[in-house]
Amino acid sequence: MTAGPRSIEGAAWTGRRVGIGQALLRVVLALAIAFGGLAAGAGYWQVLRSSELSSAPNDAAVIAAARRVLRGEISDRDGVRLAWNKRDANGEPYRVYASDSLSGVIGYASRRFDKAGLERQWDAQLSGVVSADPLRDFLRKFQADPSDPQDLQTSLVLELQDAAVAALGRNRGAVVMLDPRTGEVLVLASTPTFDASAIANPDPETAGAAFRQVNEDERRPLLPRATQGRYVPGSTFKIVTAIAALGSGAVTPATSFEEQPAAEERGLLVDGFRVRDGHHPATGDRALEFDEAVEASCNIWFALAGLRTGGEALVDWAGRLGFGQPIPFDLPTAAAQVTGGGGSLGGGFSDRVELANAAYGQAETLATPLQMALVAAAVANDGTIMRPRLVIAATGKSGTTRFEPSVWQRVMSAGIADEIADAMRQAVAGDIGSAFTPGANVRGLRVAGKSGTAELEPGRSPHSWFIGFAPYDDPQIAIAVIVEESGGGSVKASPIAGDLLRDWRAWTRR
Amino acid sequence: MTRIRPRLRGRELGLLVIVALALVAGSLSLGAAGRLRAAQLEDGTTVELLALADSTQLLVFLGALFVAHLALVLAGRRTDQILLPTVGLLGGISLLLMERLPQDLAGGLGGLAQTQLVWLVLCIAVLTTLAVAVRNDGWLRRYKYTWAAAGVALLLLVFVFGREEESGARLTLVIGPISGQPTELLKVMLVIFLAGYLSENRSLLVEESTRLGPIRLPPLPYLAPMVAMWAIALGVVIVQRDLGAALLFFLVFLLLLYVSTGRFSFVALGLGAFAVGAVVLYRLFGHVQQRVDVWLDPWTDPLGAGYQVIQALHAFARGGLIGTGLGNGLPTVGGQPPIPALHTDFPFAALGEELGLVGILGILGLYLVLIARGFRIALAAEDEFRAILAAGLSLVISVQAFIIAGGNLKLIPLTGITLPFISYGGSSLLANAVIVGLLIALSERKLEPLPPIRPPGRLQRLLSRGAA
Repeated sequence: MTAGPRSIEGAAWTGRRVGIGQALLRVVLALAIAFGGLAAGAGYWQVLRSSELSSAPNDAAVIAAARRVLRGEISDRDGVRLAWNKRDANGEPYRVYASDSLSGVIGYASRRFDKAGLERQWDAQLSGVVSADPLRDFLRKFQADPSDPQDLQTSLVLELQDAAVAALGRNRGAVVMLDPRTGEVLVLASTPTFDASAIANPDPETAGAAFRQVNEDERRPLLPRATQGRYVPGSTFKIVTAIAALGSGAVTPATSFEEQPAAEERGLLVDGFRVRDGHHPATGDRALEFDEAVEASCNIWFALAGLRTGGEALVDWAGRLGFGQPIPFDLPTAAAQVTGGGGSLGGGFSDRVELANAAYGQAETLATPLQMALVAAAVANDGTIMRPRLVIAATGKSGTTRFEPSVWQRVMSAGIADEIADAMRQAVAGDIGSAFTPGANVRGLRVAGKSGTAELEPGRSPHSWFIGFAPYDDPQIAIAVIVEESGGGSVKASPIAGDLLRDWRAWTRR
Repeated sequence: MTRIRPRLRGRELGLLVIVALALVAGSLSLGAAGRLRAAQLEDGTTVELLALADSTQLLVFLGALFVAHLALVLAGRRTDQILLPTVGLLGGISLLLMERLPQDLAGGLGGLAQTQLVWLVLCIAVLTTLAVAVRNDGWLRRYKYTWAAAGVALLLLVFVFGREEESGARLTLVIGPISGQPTELLKVMLVIFLAGYLSENRSLLVEESTRLGPIRLPPLPYLAPMVAMWAIALGVVIVQRDLGAALLFFLVFLLLLYVSTGRFSFVALGLGAFAVGAVVLYRLFGHVQQRVDVWLDPWTDPLGAGYQVIQALHAFARGGLIGTGLGNGLPTVGGQPPIPALHTDFPFAALGEELGLVGILGILGLYLVLIARGFRIALAAEDEFRAILAAGLSLVISVQAFIIAGGNLKLIPLTGITLPFISYGGSSLLANAVIVGLLIALSERKLEPLPPIRPPGRLQRLLSRGAA
């Protein structure tokens, strides 16, 4: 069968040779094996690795499906559209937003830059892949359209949201307004805002430029301050201390501290450190009671009340209000804190000085605007905090689901809440109080509240705070306003709160 | 001159009818998918589902196939009846794929599919012309060095006038209004040369005259062409940056060397030289290195160098066993298909997605049919030249299909070579048409007897041919 003599064949391992016919058959065999290898390779990718690869988030079909799907629209509580879709030249939808003022709440859904805010948190409902396994839905090739995008109705009021952002102006800051009876959030403003529509633009250049600009902005517009900004709360925290002190029974509304008047002059010595109050000459040298201490925003009184309450009780009662862990909400929230923790004193305070300072909202206390709005809401709603909510209804093919209010925390008795509410009313309407909260007292709307000036490290202007609710005898709205490093103390936040409460009243009368 | 008597080609006709039915079914499926998608965008409109994707284009293509069949019948030759339907089905799949892709991907003649159709019809025309007209192979075997010289000249032309592509490859020759990829033609010329050279020197190559220890080398003077081939392959890689063509030339050369000498040692030697060359190229050239690195692990740079390969693998994965159906796969992102350069480099992956593993096996089967028929012709050939030529021609198509399909499947590093009869592009289609046309011509049992060997003297030969 082979050409060539036997001697050659046996000469060396290289010596065997075959005839053309034989060689042709061997080459065909080799090619057949090679093509068999191709078939095996195809089988490997198309059968063994098929489901893994085709369900990966970077698979073109998964991306395309997400891009093709017409996301549900987002509206405010009056049905005003906040986010909806347009189509680009390829017929693929993209997102547009009603107002820049919404950027910190609604966020954006962009092809290139993923999603943020409500668009991210409620993505499954908005894009309609709510079933447990979206892949299975997708792979059912013969199903016409397995997705069920849902329209979301939020509790926001666009005109109030716009008004809040306008009131904050060029300042960095945040406003939260919510209904203490239902937990529905009407305003969740954060400045500076950004142009979410530009980031969601289908043109990669436009979107890229907008995203880059927002990311490089030193004022950090991408931080949703209302829910994730952690600020020194200053005197607004005195309401927390009041709840803890009265709730635990450490003090009563009639409690006064003998050493307080003298300490106003010389400063309060706690373990050798001086805690000094700096204001209200109008109260004279009288020992203040609870409501007067709130109205005059007396640091010494609250330092003493905090020391008497004790660190453990203060942290415990603050925890009932939501401090210490993220607040359950429709958006991610940052946890507020009374102390950095880790100290040997009860509640994790490092010493009594820290506790005394924390009791009037300095030291290491930090709170989000949403947290402080909930503190006001707890007082307004007879001691009960309703679970804060943004989405009140979702409408899909199968109909509308409404999300009902639910109780989140029962913090204190209605009696204690009333005592604190009375004091907060005085802090806005009283002779001394109104000096601290200029502009917060709206004619014809009985506002209760507490201002705050959060001292920061030397060289930085303090944050200006106001928390409150209205009407005082039938609370329907709670509010928290912070203006970052605005310099003017509470004079900055209080008038904003007053203006927004006036706008709110105008809106309710419509 | 004997009168040409038409001869019925029943098997070819039957197979062509099957091919036509398959393509009509494919076009119906593609048309329904397209109309459904359009209706979904507008929603609410009812659609007529039972209609061809593009009836004119398909009819033109099928018409060309049946005209080709008619021409072969009228020519009355006893030639292969399987090759034309096989090429017809591959070309038809190509046409459907091009109809299915965005029309603005390429093509100056009114879109991708339209342009591809023109080339396909030309391809059938060339194939038929060669199958009918080539009645002896003297012009092929006599001028083997001329063919080789022309091939090398083409290579040099590309070197001088070639247009550099984005990828850094220099594949396209542009002279005035004409542009093309000469490596496609070069591969045909090279096979003709090799068939001539190897058949002539076969006995010499087989004789042992040079030994290096236990390794038997071909006689040194005859080693020169081998080294030249190796050098050409390297040159193609370095100058044109065309790894695929280099691999193709070298593999075809080695396999033909084996066919003609029957010595595996030569193949081993060649593979050794190939390995050395590969290592050196890997070390020296960034583009070679990148190709290999991407092949080893595309996921280290999923959005950059590895993007194409990963997207192709995803396409295969999405197709699964039975595929998404023509027109239902290849999800567009921003109006573009998911794999860059899909129509030229990744039609195999595209078909893997839309036709599934079943379709892939079918297409591989079609190439195996081409191989089987080519080697059958080689085995039945009357002399060594024809045997090696037929084997070489079918090797070019099958090895090329293997290189690009293997690249798509990440079995071997990806190269930018075309998938025969399916990839978009005229040069490739025409070169492969020449190959199959020659194969059909060579398949005639009773090809005209060889003219007697004439004494050397080109002028005299020309004169005598002119007189004949």
